[in-house]
Amino acid sequence: MTQTKHIEMRNVRKSFRFFTLEDLSLDLEPGQIMGLVGPNGAGKSTAIRLMTGLLTPDGGEVRVLGHTMPDNQAVAKRDIGFVSDDMRLFAHATLGWHMQFVASIYPGWDAKYAQALIKRFNLRPEQSVRSLSSGEHVKAVLLLALARRPRLLILDEPTSGMDPVARHEVLSEFMDVLQDEDRSILFSSHNTVDVERVSDRITFIDRGRLVDSSDKEDFLERWRRIQLQVPVGTRVPDLPHVISRVVDGQFVTLTTNRFSPELISFLGSGVREVQRMNLEEIFVANVMHHREVRGQ
Amino acid sequence: MNMLTRKLIAKEFYLNRWLIIGATGAGLAGLVIAAEGRMRFNIGMLIWLTTIIAFGVTLAMLSIASERKDRALQFVLSLPISPGDYIRTKLLALMFCFLVPWIVLTVGAMALILIQPNLPDGLLPYALLLCVFMLANFSLVLSGALHTSSEGLMTLLIIVTNTAVTLFIFLIGSIPALHDHLGDAQPVWNSAVWTVLAVELATLVLTLSLPYLVAARRRDFN
Repeated sequence: MTQTKHIEMRNVRKSFRFFTLEDLSLDLEPGQIMGLVGPNGAGKSTAIRLMTGLLTPDGGEVRVLGHTMPDNQAVAKRDIGFVSDDMRLFAHATLGWHMQFVASIYPGWDAKYAQALIKRFNLRPEQSVRSLSSGEHVKAVLLLALARRPRLLILDEPTSGMDPVARHEVLSEFMDVLQDEDRSILFSSHNTVDVERVSDRITFIDRGRLVDSSDKEDFLERWRRIQLQVPVGTRVPDLPHVISRVVDGQFVTLTTNRFSPELISFLGSGVREVQRMNLEEIFVANVMHHREVRGQ
Repeated sequence: MNMLTRKLIAKEFYLNRWLIIGATGAGLAGLVIAAEGRMRFNIGMLIWLTTIIAFGVTLAMLSIASERKDRALQFVLSLPISPGDYIRTKLLALMFCFLVPWIVLTVGAMALILIQPNLPDGLLPYALLLCVFMLANFSLVLSGALHTSSEGLMTLLIIVTNTAVTLFIFLIGSIPALHDHLGDAQPVWNSAVWTVLAVELATLVLTLSLPYLVAARRRDFN
């Protein structure tokens, strides 16, 4: 029997006055961490608000944990932990009060795990929310989401504004969550370093459209930068899956999204170097290529 | 009423506890001052009246507008609740929060009129109509705060509702069927009293229904 997908978006469309999310389809399987990557204003938060039921799609279908959104969001949210970087707790209450409040709502609240997170994140339950730094605040919100033991964590830019140590602590915690293979995480960010570290599936979006979606390893294996040295004036022929070409005198740099040993054989002795690309480079090249194809 | 609704109502009481206690205390202090003779009556009743109005405005602004502005609303909406449920629960919770001091201060004002020998009991209908008017006034502010995120519109609504209290006091005082009995030793519950009360209650029901019919049915919640 196939397991229910944790997130299913099919041809989802949402229009605003100055922005439209077009024809977005994506799936998140149980046990996966998906990095939703896009520049500012790409539509990441809109996609997430559709997943959490706060927006109603103009077209298409959104299902989360098998529930149709937004109609069944109250049921779906029993198993969703949602955190965004601009989410705030009640300033005049303590973290301890928030923990009691959330624990009283979620039967699956894990008090032992909450205590462990308190120590790991160096927080104090008696501390007033007003006195928390911005990094501590995000950790407190994450604690409240993680200790519910949700099947699905939806995190909208959770590490923005955090120092590197805090980011390391939080990202390590995400990895621990995935030890239970029925849980999954959707993690939006424009910080590709964080996404590359924790995600096993990556979806790029830009200007309201899905650019590419694949396993992280697949991206890292497919994309290469190839440096050639050719006699000046020689034109390297157009090749399939070469999405950019930069010529600098006798040096030509090609970027391919379908790297294969056959391509190197074809290019022959002019190949000087084949470089692997990190996720940020793949992201930028992918987005720029996508914009070029669409004439934007 | 389900478990989550109860928890969210309890949350509002907890977060607004000092405001509720402070307003109840200040209003009661006003009534104590009002009980100390003719001169102090006006000052005490002014404190009592101002307290109820200010409490209603502060409660709505802190619990709805500030929650939205401070982005704590996102935290609430991450709980297993739909935006429609949120609107309904918020309305219920804040009405309960308002009703605690309102009931205490309304009963206190009635008791003051009945106990004080120098205050005619004929003031009772007038005091009741004023109290119910302030309840309807609060429900209007509450309904407005649940419908709009515009600070300008909310400021306008607060100015209108505050001004309406003063207008109401003058208007009611100018109705002969009410005015003529203010000094009576016994309260007169005539048709004028029941008509004004019915209009107030109808306004109350209408303003409390609006969030159910409009805000709770929004397709998008930002």
